[in-house]
Amino acid sequence: MDIATLKTKGLLRAVSAAPASPAAFPFGLGVAGLHEVAEASYGDRAAVTGFVLAATRQAKQGAWLWISQTKLTGDLGHVSQAALRQMQAVMPQRLNAETRTLGEALWAVEEAVVSGAVSLVIAEVDAADFTATRRLTLASGRYGVPVILIMAQTREGATAAATRWRISPRPSAPNRYDPQAPGNPRWRAVLERCRTAPNATGSSFDLEWNDETLSLSVVSGLAAGPAAPRPAQRETPARRRTG
Amino acid sequence: MRFSDARASVPALMAEEIDREADAHAFRLLARWMNGYSPLVSLDGADALLLEITGCDHLFGGEAAMATRVSGRLAQPGYTHQIAVAGTPGAAQALARYGGTGNAPQILPSGAERSGLCELPVQALRLSHEATTLLRRFGLTRIGQLCGIDRKALTRRFRSRQAADAVCLRLDQALGIRLEPVAPLRSPPEHAWRLACPEPLTQAAGVEAGLQQLTQTLYADLSGKGLGARHFVFTAFHSDGQVSEVSAQAARPVRAPDHVLRLFRERTGKIDPGFGIDLLLLEALRTGPMDMGSRPLSGDLATTGVDEVALSALADRINARLGDGTVRLIHAEARHVPDKAERNGAFTGELPAAEAGMRDMQGLRPVRMLGRAERVDVIAQVPDGPPLSFVWRRVLRRVARSDGPERIAPEWWLHLPGQAARPAGLPRTRDYYRIEDAEGRRYWVFREGLYDDRRGQLPEWFVQGLFA
Repeated sequence: MDIATLKTKGLLRAVSAAPASPAAFPFGLGVAGLHEVAEASYGDRAAVTGFVLAATRQAKQGAWLWISQTKLTGDLGHVSQAALRQMQAVMPQRLNAETRTLGEALWAVEEAVVSGAVSLVIAEVDAADFTATRRLTLASGRYGVPVILIMAQTREGATAAATRWRISPRPSAPNRYDPQAPGNPRWRAVLERCRTAPNATGSSFDLEWNDETLSLSVVSGLAAGPAAPRPAQRETPARRRTG
Repeated sequence: MRFSDARASVPALMAEEIDREADAHAFRLLARWMNGYSPLVSLDGADALLLEITGCDHLFGGEAAMATRVSGRLAQPGYTHQIAVAGTPGAAQALARYGGTGNAPQILPSGAERSGLCELPVQALRLSHEATTLLRRFGLTRIGQLCGIDRKALTRRFRSRQAADAVCLRLDQALGIRLEPVAPLRSPPEHAWRLACPEPLTQAAGVEAGLQQLTQTLYADLSGKGLGARHFVFTAFHSDGQVSEVSAQAARPVRAPDHVLRLFRERTGKIDPGFGIDLLLLEALRTGPMDMGSRPLSGDLATTGVDEVALSALADRINARLGDGTVRLIHAEARHVPDKAERNGAFTGELPAAEAGMRDMQGLRPVRMLGRAERVDVIAQVPDGPPLSFVWRRVLRRVARSDGPERIAPEWWLHLPGQAARPAGLPRTRDYYRIEDAEGRRYWVFREGLYDDRRGQLPEWFVQGLFA
């Protein structure tokens, strides 16, 4: 029986996650409104970036604007185009803007949202107070452009954003082909605040990113024992007798 | 007369050092201000300005009126000056330097150079000291006498051919027989619009209104030609000899008045009217045809889904406020080395086309690339094992798992002998490893060089980027 027959009989069908709804994962991240994604500790910026790129699915093709403060780019590097190509099914056109101060970065975010020229704005900023986040939330809602703020581990306090995530890297999945090599990346995403689904506040997701299918799946935690495969039993070869 | 002699007769005499640098700077500012009268202004020596006023004089009511006006303006701050208008640069400078005394401008009609210059001394021809001395010995002190002599006879009197040629050249240039090239300080703009103010503007609102009016003219003019511009310079000429200039850039050619106004909105505040502004000038540089293609009615019909015009308008606004070059775009480069394969360049209004599928063949790439690879201290198996632990940014990281190497060969074609921009040292192979440490953080680490490649010191390790 070939694949076409299986498909017609309904035995084989494409599996995909439920359509994005603001009450389910990822709670509107990258679809609508303002969202914050913060590091769990210093040095988790790569995991945060990976989570943002993995959880964001483009509803329609459009350009992205990636805003960052110069000092952050100098410290943590920039998001490479190659990674964007490998993590997004449809490669978005992306413009980068580097600003000196926080105020300039937030101004640029609002300007981009209002202009309607981009379909997603991602900004890496130091901080944003309640007023700034409220302002951006209103602008984002009115003009229908989602905004993601990537922030440092020091991010605390009140926010007007729809959600706040805190991301930390986890040891990667076992690699089937080479137990010594890292496998699919895994992250722990904790939903610290959630306005759209208040019940979900505090829930924690252990996520695994598959770089071939470009899918993000929830993995179950381990109760006991290591996740790595058992080393193969090596038979000691019998000594060949000579003579 | 020496200074001590002079002070003996006038005891109250003061002496001050000449500050030549400040003088030259002030002179350049004056030259810039003269752009209000003509787009082509050049320096003639350290003490004279040359204005090409062909086609400009009618704006001021003729040559005589223009010269009087310039003279009046120069007299206000107290400059002693001498103005001459003539058909050739040589004649004009001769008249200005040797023509007469007093501030009254001298006008020599075009074609009347021979009669106008004949009474002037030969020094007025910008000759070398030796040449003038020689001419004086022959009894030739007036330009009129030179004109009367046969060229062959004149040439024969000089010992060297060059000296004779120099005299003839200067004479011909003054009389307009040979052309004299003039190098203007600023290249003339392709398109410029001026707004002369009958009364000097003293309010910032007046400057805004003037700019608005100029953008309307710009729009009308450029629409007629089907052009747009990517660089605008707005200059205000103050009545006290100051010049304020602001410029704005656009990512793609534009001409819409509100767009141009918006580019300048953050910057016109820098213009302080001070004692008054009597001329506004708007120049459009780097003009080009505008893309007037029709937009698809529905978003579904669009091929790319990205409105490049709206995107460049956004980039212009951000650049206008936060400084040129704020908005950037990563351009792909055909390079093997990963940190050279992406170049962060300015956004020029055009998005790159989708790349070929060739690039999908490469291995996994880190989500964050460090600006430059950072050196790390590594404990690794020799000669080609993965790292066991390494110190990056002063923190010891123990490697839990590693994958690699992905070998990236050096670009030997950049290191060929005789290459102009040849990097120092011999190219070294890089072995890249994907590393995961005990905390689950993932790195992209490489070893530059092999142990037995005999290309410099022992291999060194670097962190290139961070995996998600």
